[in-house]
Amino acid sequence: MYIVRPVSIIDLPGIEQLLVNNEVRVTTLPSDRDKLGELLNLSALSFEKQLDNPRESTFIFVLENTETGEVSGVSGLDAYAGVGYPFFNYRMEELIHASHHLGVHVAAEILYLSHELTGSSVLRSFAIKKELRDTPYFELLSRARFMFMAQDLDLFSDVTVTEIQGQLNEQGDSDFWNSIGKHFFDIDFHTADYYVGIKSKTFIAELMPQHPIYVSLLTPEAQSVMNKAHPATDRTCQLLSRDGFDKSRYIDIFDGGPVLKNKTRNIQTISNSKQKVIVTSDLVGGIKYLISNTDPGKFRCTIGNLVDGIGDSVRLEKSLARAINATDGDSIRYSFL
Amino acid sequence: MFYIRPIEPRDLDDLIVMADESGVGVTSLPANRQKMSAKIERAVQTFSGNVEPKDALYLFVLEDSETGALAGVSAIESQIGHQNVWYNYRIGNTVNASSELGVHKQTKTLFLSNDLTGTSEVCTLFLREKYRKGINGRFLSKQRYLFLAEFQHLFNERVIAEMRGYSDEHGISPFWEGLGRKFFKMDFKDADYLTGMGDKAFIAELMPKFPIYVPFLDQAAQDTISKVHENTEPALALLMQEGFRLNNYIDIFDAGPTVECRLQDIRAVRESTLWSWIQSDARIEISDPRGDVWMVSNLKFSEYRVIMVDGANFKNGQVALTSAEIDILGLSSEDQVRAVAIKPNTK
Repeated sequence: MYIVRPVSIIDLPGIEQLLVNNEVRVTTLPSDRDKLGELLNLSALSFEKQLDNPRESTFIFVLENTETGEVSGVSGLDAYAGVGYPFFNYRMEELIHASHHLGVHVAAEILYLSHELTGSSVLRSFAIKKELRDTPYFELLSRARFMFMAQDLDLFSDVTVTEIQGQLNEQGDSDFWNSIGKHFFDIDFHTADYYVGIKSKTFIAELMPQHPIYVSLLTPEAQSVMNKAHPATDRTCQLLSRDGFDKSRYIDIFDGGPVLKNKTRNIQTISNSKQKVIVTSDLVGGIKYLISNTDPGKFRCTIGNLVDGIGDSVRLEKSLARAINATDGDSIRYSFL
Repeated sequence: MFYIRPIEPRDLDDLIVMADESGVGVTSLPANRQKMSAKIERAVQTFSGNVEPKDALYLFVLEDSETGALAGVSAIESQIGHQNVWYNYRIGNTVNASSELGVHKQTKTLFLSNDLTGTSEVCTLFLREKYRKGINGRFLSKQRYLFLAEFQHLFNERVIAEMRGYSDEHGISPFWEGLGRKFFKMDFKDADYLTGMGDKAFIAELMPKFPIYVPFLDQAAQDTISKVHENTEPALALLMQEGFRLNNYIDIFDAGPTVECRLQDIRAVRESTLWSWIQSDARIEISDPRGDVWMVSNLKFSEYRVIMVDGANFKNGQVALTSAEIDILGLSSEDQVRAVAIKPNTK
């Protein structure tokens, strides 16, 4: 069985292993062991509600194979993007350059450096073992975060966003970066990416040009990858789309990848979830749901069968209840699959 | 004899011909009768003293007194940017630096500006093909400094000139292709025509308002920044000789540079002096047009005239003039003249 649970510091080597083999870059998980350790610590404090400022909460989850104890995936969630720093994106806008006198009407696309999404809740740091990519556990790992949010909506922003990795060219380089950032740094995309990992995204973003950028002056290659997701993120995007996420007017300032956005309360997993008391038994029919406990500090989420009725309780198999740290009489949360 | 005088209404036909001859890039000569006529009218009113300094336009012509034919035209705008909004790009610098990353990158950046509004401009220099010999071009250009010297109070202390930017043999401006065209689909020569028609401000309003990071432009456009058209190189050399220098402002369409000098620092203004005159039939003809030739103007505003004489005629605080020259300058016996050598450092 696979469950999603809060990360613990002992998962560190398992996460490192995951990152080495992951197809998509996960810049929000530092490759530096000390930095990663700090992040896991911060996550533990967040789950335990030990932070002075709850807005600094960052939650890292792992997907665990309960038979082997192996870390098979990782996903993350920030309560509040930025936390004391600006959260940078480009906002895409159009300005109309028009003159009746000259009979001219041209729309000029512009990228504005924006901090507007600072304070949004952010889905982050998704990585899963290759062999699980086409299983329901991909969905479990991704959507478990919404089950967690549903339990404590006040902690999160009204808006949830996620940055999707942009397209790279055949050399594995970002044409978007080459057309903008590179002019101002003299470093290639991967070096910039490396600094994002060991410093912070904000740190690098603050070095980016501050004036708005006219899209028509970028290379055709850069223009063509703007707001386009990397093919490796297709499954992620599909799942998020089912949950009501859409492309926004924001893109990543480094690779031009899209920022997906939704109102937190409109996330389907959250709005369709129900909370009921469980009655456990040895044999249960029913249909598959995403099921979690209702204790954010000891959060567990998995996929399993339950029998829903018209009353206030649902029936759940004992082993499943154990897996999510719940016993008879406890409340659980469940949502469609 | 070639001499300078203020433009008159009767010069309209000749000016239209010159505008046709001047072609792309000499934007201040509109090849449109109505516009040209309005321009001449403004200049005529200016010399009549009926125009506010901020709207004044001084348009001079070079005439051959024997034939009455016009050889060329040159002008001074007393304060640019009042009739229309005046736009330039200022070439500025953006620094992105981080000691931690070892990054310290300077990026040339073009800032749209109206900074030069109110400055005086020497402009519209055009000499017809068949008169492009000897010293005519230099005379037509530099005679304006005698006017500036005499009537300083009518001008701004900053004097500028816009240089025609580089375009290739097909009239294509790489800077326009790399920037302007992307904001409205128009050929440079059409934009240039509209500019000459006085519509530059209209076009400027369609141009990007935010700063342009130069590395975003293609290489050909970047290489054109501050580069003058080869036909304009002699004019630039003359201005440099007088003390004008590039001032980091360029044209928003073709990236031609602006040059600037303080009025009192212009060599011909600084060196010009007042002289008495005597009539002398023994006065010396100009022996070498490349030699010690001087410009001599009267001190009259409405009947401003300038001629050229040989430097050898200046003696004992007096300049010797023929009766024909005295006639052209319209001098009475008490009048003084203002004079300066066309070439620097000759007397």
